[in-house]
Amino acid sequence: MDTGNSEELRRPPLKTWSAFGNLGRRPSEYEIVTHQMNHTLRDKPLEIGPDRHGNRWLVRHRDAAKFAVKDWDGFRDPDQLTYRKYVTSQDNSETYLDAVLQEFDQLGRAETAPDFLQACLTPSRYLAHGLQMMSAYLQQLAPSAYVGNCAAFQTADHLRRVQRVAYRTKQLDRTYPGRSFGTTERRAWEQAPAWQGLRKGIERLLVAFDWDDAFVGLNLVVKPLADELTLRQFAVAARHLNTELDALVADNLFLDAERSRRWSAALTRFAIAEDSVNLGRLHTLIAKWRPLADEIVETGSRLSEAFLPGLNSSDQIAAAAVGAWRSFLEEAGLQA
Amino acid sequence: MLLDRDDWYGVAHDLEWSLSYVEHEDAFPDAWTGSNGIPREAWRAWEEPFRVSYRDYVAVQREKEAGVAGVRDALKRSRVYQNLHPSFAAVSHLHMGATCMIEQMAVMMLGRFARFAPSPRWRNISVFGMLDEIRHAQLDLLFSHDLLKYDSRFDWCQKAFHSNEWAIIAIRSFCDDWMLDTNCIDAALAVNLTFEHGFTNMQFVALAADAMEAGDVGFSNLLSSIQTDEARHAQQGFPTLEVLMKHDPERAQRVLDVSFWRSFRLFQAMTGPAMDYYTPLDRRTMSFKEFMLEWVVDQHERTLRDYGLKRPWYWDTFLQSLEHGHHALHLGMWFWRPTLFWKPSAGVSKVERRWLNDKYPSWEDSWGVLWDEIIQNVNHGRMAQTLPETLPALCNLTQLPIGTHLDRHHLECVTREHHGRMYYFDSEVSKWCFEQEPERYAGHLNVVDRFVAGLIQPADLSGVLQWMGLTPDVMGDDAVDYSWARDYLPDAQSAG
Ligand SMILES: [Fe+2]
Ligand SMILES: [Fe+2]
Repeated sequence: MDTGNSEELRRPPLKTWSAFGNLGRRPSEYEIVTHQMNHTLRDKPLEIGPDRHGNRWLVRHRDAAKFAVKDWDGFRDPDQLTYRKYVTSQDNSETYLDAVLQEFDQLGRAETAPDFLQACLTPSRYLAHGLQMMSAYLQQLAPSAYVGNCAAFQTADHLRRVQRVAYRTKQLDRTYPGRSFGTTERRAWEQAPAWQGLRKGIERLLVAFDWDDAFVGLNLVVKPLADELTLRQFAVAARHLNTELDALVADNLFLDAERSRRWSAALTRFAIAEDSVNLGRLHTLIAKWRPLADEIVETGSRLSEAFLPGLNSSDQIAAAAVGAWRSFLEEAGLQA
Repeated sequence: MLLDRDDWYGVAHDLEWSLSYVEHEDAFPDAWTGSNGIPREAWRAWEEPFRVSYRDYVAVQREKEAGVAGVRDALKRSRVYQNLHPSFAAVSHLHMGATCMIEQMAVMMLGRFARFAPSPRWRNISVFGMLDEIRHAQLDLLFSHDLLKYDSRFDWCQKAFHSNEWAIIAIRSFCDDWMLDTNCIDAALAVNLTFEHGFTNMQFVALAADAMEAGDVGFSNLLSSIQTDEARHAQQGFPTLEVLMKHDPERAQRVLDVSFWRSFRLFQAMTGPAMDYYTPLDRRTMSFKEFMLEWVVDQHERTLRDYGLKRPWYWDTFLQSLEHGHHALHLGMWFWRPTLFWKPSAGVSKVERRWLNDKYPSWEDSWGVLWDEIIQNVNHGRMAQTLPETLPALCNLTQLPIGTHLDRHHLECVTREHHGRMYYFDSEVSKWCFEQEPERYAGHLNVVDRFVAGLIQPADLSGVLQWMGLTPDVMGDDAVDYSWARDYLPDAQSAG
């Protein structure tokens, strides 16, 4: 047979992946390492029996989603994160946090708010772990590596948070050996009324298996509210209570939260621009999560209440959190 | 006071809570955790095999990335690739095409662990593995993209897994199965412990050494840098095996036996030819068999012994296959070279053939005659007879050609009927794997099944090549333009 190899010499060399087709420009490094890097976007996603669990799961929970566009590979992360960019910028953030911790250590400042921290900070490792698990779920169900990689980095952001909280927990434990820092948090997370909205949010997410439902529930509702309440509003309270160290850590962790919002809003705007029907689909999903959002705000805004008498009422905290959430949704082309 | 990692590490892993708004079983379904029959408390014994903080991880990895970026820049200015031996270039095409997407699949697999693994320690440690695998995929893509201007075959680094190229289908069928369809526990045993720790980690070490020998500094550096991550996260399978041994040792044995055979068959197809035929003779450090015996077999036996498991029942067959299988696969792949996206090196010049006979005493008897026929045809210009007209029969389990697990005298097909359909296997072992869980494979069609079902049109070899995505600029041909066959011309001055 003729394999036609003589043509080999006649073809001009490729400038980039043939998968880009006629891009009309040089792809960025970010695009080169992300484009079409999900091989399961096919009729039968996996190369196994069509009725196997894994195939059925992807077909049912990903490919059947109503929130859809023709090609999710058209989506771009506004931060254009690659692995290298991620570890570089996160190393900078971690170096900054190390410096903050060191500075406070050198100043020899005493802890000022152990009760507040035991109620509002240290139990948050459970919350962060929940957000971490859910971000990992988004990664594996994402209909494109452009989406999946954002979710993977977001997963790692939460491990960062878990470990930073654990670090502070242990410091507090060393300072106050009688208070059982490190072991009281589970009870707080499971039973303290102010945590229950958030815990319910996480647990409900853990059974939200459709990828669009999980995306909306996590990145548009539960996570932004959790970040407002337990990072931004937490930092406000921490400053009132003179524990500036914890405020600075929370501020820095909030930078990760903002990155999550940037790509989430970009994704919804992209989907709406691709197909305006998506606007209604997103609002339907948000409406589904809305009662839970109210519960999260209602309970979560009381986290620091007892520690700020006459300063910051839970109503003010709730209003601030909801206001920030609304403007994020507006950024995302949506309303709550 | 400032703390060390080990001071706070325990707190960061104390993350289990009792779900009360939803059922635990709904949030952590057995189908994904794989925890059926293993009590939840059992997973408290799961100890991470390595400790790393996020803080250290990003610092160390940033350094590694800077190192690799430096190598990449230097490479762009050098002429290393242009000066590379063509058959070693084939190794890099094959490697990039066959592994890049596996790295990205591993992101999904580790994402699954980070979500569904039955221990929070395991879930946490998987996050680092997930990042590692993004790194590996992205490095492969960057290095390959740099080389596109010299060779469009590097396009297949990105493209291969979107194609229907048969070797890629064989890899996909193993990886989709064990990485993406399988529950966390079985996947950790099959992929982390067997495939990564047992096979690929070692392959990276060997391949990096070979690449260095062959003068491909960039490829070598890349592989070594990736291997430092692999060596770490491939450890995840051990604590999982430890827990499983206490509760379901039979399951552990079965998963390891199936995945060892499947990993081995893939390695025979991909690494065997690369080591014993593509790598230039003066650069070969050991034969594929020697490598397997020293690095893979030894280690696997040790793991089995350490955990109180038996050698797989097929051990004798495996050792026989180690002597022959990759030679059969190589011959088949070279003959069906238009179905490859790289240019296989025949690797049977007289001096190479002496090496083969030296390393594999039965080589001549098994494969010499067949190569002699090819050599005759090449030297008489009968090229059509060195090329295929049809497809080979393929195994319904491994997706590899039937007749490729032993020598030339054992080419028979093994069959088994299941729910009215006849399935074909390359060996008794593959049939046994199928029988462990027939439903796992039952509805799947291999390339030949699809051809017969009329799913590939036009229904001839050209249609198949088109369906496989093999454009003329990448379609496989002999790596060195058949120059090795001249050794056998009557008036040739033999090189050795
Ligand atoms: Fe890897
Ligand atoms: Fe790996």
